[in-house]
Amino acid sequence: MAETAKSARHHVVVGSGVAGFQAAETLRERDPDSRITILTLSRLLFYKRYDLPKVFRGSRDWREFLVHPAEFYRDRRIGMRRASHVANVDSRRKVITLDHKEEIRFDTLLVASGGRAYLPEELAEFRPLMHNFGSYEDAITMAKALPERGHAIMLGGDMIGLDLARTLIDTQHRVTLVAGPHTFWPHEVGESERPALVATLEKMGIEVIEGADTGGIASIEQGARGFSARRVLFKDGTEIAGDVVMPFFGLMPSVEFMLGSGVDIERGLLVSPGLRTTDESIYAAGDVCQIWSDAERRYRFYYGWKNVRAMGDLAARNITGSSDPWVPAQDEKLHISGDGRIQSPFWEYE
Amino acid sequence: MATDIQISIVGSAGDGTIAAGEILRSALAGMGYKVISFDVYPPEIRGFGKCIARMRITTEQAYSLKNKSDVLISLDDSHAIPHAGEVRECGAVIYERGSIVQLPEGGHISAHIGPGQLPYPVPIRELSEKSTGANRSRNIVVLGFLAGLLSLPAEAFRKAIGRKFKSKAAAAEASEAAFKAGLDLAAQTFKLDDVMFGPPVSTVVAGATVEMINGNAAVVRGALDAGIDTFFGYPITPATSIMERLASEMPKRGARLLQTEDEISAISATIGAGFAGARAATSTSGPGLALMAEMLGLGVIAEVPSVVFVSQRGGPSTGMPTKTEQSDLHMAVYGGHGDAPRIVIAPTNVDGCYRCGGKAFEMAEAYQTPVIVLLDLYLSNRYETVVFPSRPPFEADCNRKPGKLQAGEQYKRFALTGDLISPRAIPGEKGGMHVITGLEHNELGRPNDQAQMHEAMSRKRHEKLKAALRHPDFTHYKRFGDEGQVDVGLISWGSTFGECLEAMYKARGEGIRCAAMKVVMLSPFPTHGVAAFMNDCKQVLVPELNYQGQFANLLQAHVAKPVTRLNRVPGEPMKVEDILEEIRRLAGRGKTAQKAA
Repeated sequence: MAETAKSARHHVVVGSGVAGFQAAETLRERDPDSRITILTLSRLLFYKRYDLPKVFRGSRDWREFLVHPAEFYRDRRIGMRRASHVANVDSRRKVITLDHKEEIRFDTLLVASGGRAYLPEELAEFRPLMHNFGSYEDAITMAKALPERGHAIMLGGDMIGLDLARTLIDTQHRVTLVAGPHTFWPHEVGESERPALVATLEKMGIEVIEGADTGGIASIEQGARGFSARRVLFKDGTEIAGDVVMPFFGLMPSVEFMLGSGVDIERGLLVSPGLRTTDESIYAAGDVCQIWSDAERRYRFYYGWKNVRAMGDLAARNITGSSDPWVPAQDEKLHISGDGRIQSPFWEYE
Repeated sequence: MATDIQISIVGSAGDGTIAAGEILRSALAGMGYKVISFDVYPPEIRGFGKCIARMRITTEQAYSLKNKSDVLISLDDSHAIPHAGEVRECGAVIYERGSIVQLPEGGHISAHIGPGQLPYPVPIRELSEKSTGANRSRNIVVLGFLAGLLSLPAEAFRKAIGRKFKSKAAAAEASEAAFKAGLDLAAQTFKLDDVMFGPPVSTVVAGATVEMINGNAAVVRGALDAGIDTFFGYPITPATSIMERLASEMPKRGARLLQTEDEISAISATIGAGFAGARAATSTSGPGLALMAEMLGLGVIAEVPSVVFVSQRGGPSTGMPTKTEQSDLHMAVYGGHGDAPRIVIAPTNVDGCYRCGGKAFEMAEAYQTPVIVLLDLYLSNRYETVVFPSRPPFEADCNRKPGKLQAGEQYKRFALTGDLISPRAIPGEKGGMHVITGLEHNELGRPNDQAQMHEAMSRKRHEKLKAALRHPDFTHYKRFGDEGQVDVGLISWGSTFGECLEAMYKARGEGIRCAAMKVVMLSPFPTHGVAAFMNDCKQVLVPELNYQGQFANLLQAHVAKPVTRLNRVPGEPMKVEDILEEIRRLAGRGKTAQKAA
């Protein structure tokens, strides 16, 4: 709901993922009299995206995924503007314009719009034939399309996809991974480490096709009636058939609406170790920002649930008067455990 | 699965809000659901002012609208924003995704959607323009979207659209395209709300017909089925549609209708026609009834049958012409000079409008007096699914005819008979020659102001009406809910009774011993039956839509037992929750009672 108090500071958070939500909570704790508004594309309140694979274990009601019920937002006076698309940010006037031409003034802005699934250009034309898994709606749509013991073809195979693959295998589905350079993203996997990791995937029950990658895919087609729903055709003339095809090529920061804001952008929003952009009233957190690393002398992304949550918290603290620097909250190493399972810090969440 | 869904469409005059509601309820009633619906519209014809089409769709009979809607459709955010909070948790808000003008913060309804509600932004204008070349079909686009979202059969909507635009081929074609555009978008939209329709349940008995009809239309149907011959009227909101419908129906049956120059002419002509033996009626609202007061006195003293349909609105004076109120009860029962008793009946639902609309003519004839049928805007405009019997339940002739006169005997039009109802000759009837006058008169109708005669005639005019309390096949009052002693008893009248019934059933669901009585016959007052009910109640609650407590005043003039009054004048129907809260308080339950303790 729009609040009426005009005297208090207005903190606007774009994005209702882990970073945005954590920031809103910290902002409320540290600035009790302020107005807080979260702008999000989602039609749902903050929910556990990391738990979405549970749709294959019988959890289909979105209410089961909510982190907090509606009362939480009312009690903490956190305004949730859902289904709201930010069109533009005017940093000089401190005004956000939504797609429907509504203008929202802010005192501070935290951009936590996250990333959206990246799809290589050569596959873009096949987008309508593929299923994403980035939102609750995507997950349910995909779950409905994949029959019991059905066959999922996974392209790329980033860690979000591999997390899903674990659940699919556990729930008696068949998974074929068309592997490539995006496999294991955002982990940076060296050439020497890769064979062992791929072998571990195969041991998990995932069928891995190496060397085909995106450049090797000729087309994706709708399967003939009575047969599998999708076919992936490779340039070498081979093909595989499955029920769904899912792209998992990592994330791309959602920064388009910031292009006219005047802040520095490379791939993501460039921020200081304190998560401030080049505009003093605009901060960024989560998958959308590249943080300056003094040690590495470069701007870099930090991924994973713990990191993202820590970024949301840090940005909110710095917005409300602190000047703390970013310290990663988790390591980024991909391990193979003693019992031969892949262990990724990106699969750890509360 | 039982269905109980309320849908509200809010827009500006000219957006097609009411038309969309009409199509929606027609489609749903056609599917076999029970629908209760009430439209709110502004006094202005077009260009601004809020319109609301609100309907409750059920498988079991509902008695009122709900406090919360399951779905809100905004065709104009400036009007819909105040209603965003009326959507229940997990309900849906469907609204225009874009805007053609710059909006300040909070100017878009998405700013007002609560965290528990589910937003559905739809490019309504864009879809209308793409599918029809104009933005005039936005209302039909949202109907298509709604049908798709709630998985309602498109065919039922297409039929309803066809009925709505049967004489406008171009509009029908555009509507079909707009409907499809909305339907197609819904097919690509992920449904998040939990609004679900169960299958409809048919309860229609053989030979009966089911129609979706509003109170005014039901009154008209009752009047027609009772054989109305003549109608004189002057338009006034919210009674106008009575005259409009009669104007199209009466000529088909050889009956006559005349729009007079004002209400005084209308009632005068009605009484004239009644004197001439016609089943005659007029219709009006509060201001018109005030103008008719003097002539109603003539109808009383001259003992002429006539029927006046009065649909109340917010007053006094011009007041709130498009808002509902129950504030003309004093006027209807007592209004006028002298001791001028009349029959006043007030239906409590649309089915009752049909029955009162016909029975009023029987009573006017049987007791030779004006009969006022007291509606209100909420009831006049409220749509319900009504089951009509295969044969009209009205007597064609209730007139007490003069018997054969003995040689030399003179016909006495105002004879003081045992039951004080005199034989009534129609002018022109052989041997029935007589005069009527507004002066006090003797049994022959000749002027006479002797004390004894005035005493006798005054008694006649009052006491004869008591027979109306036994008028056959008519529900004068009725009790619902728990039998025997109850903690709280509600007594109500008119349209508010639906809310009372709903609140009473909810209170019973909370374990409160509770009953409700509707009183349809307001004058003469059914004292005996009402007093018996009140004796069963530890506490009596009287909810009504007027400030003074006009029904409570009437009640207490007849039954000496204290009552608790619940009076509201919001211009809208009373809220079930308000009544329920008062029941809880009287029963010593709930927050209010705890606070008081």
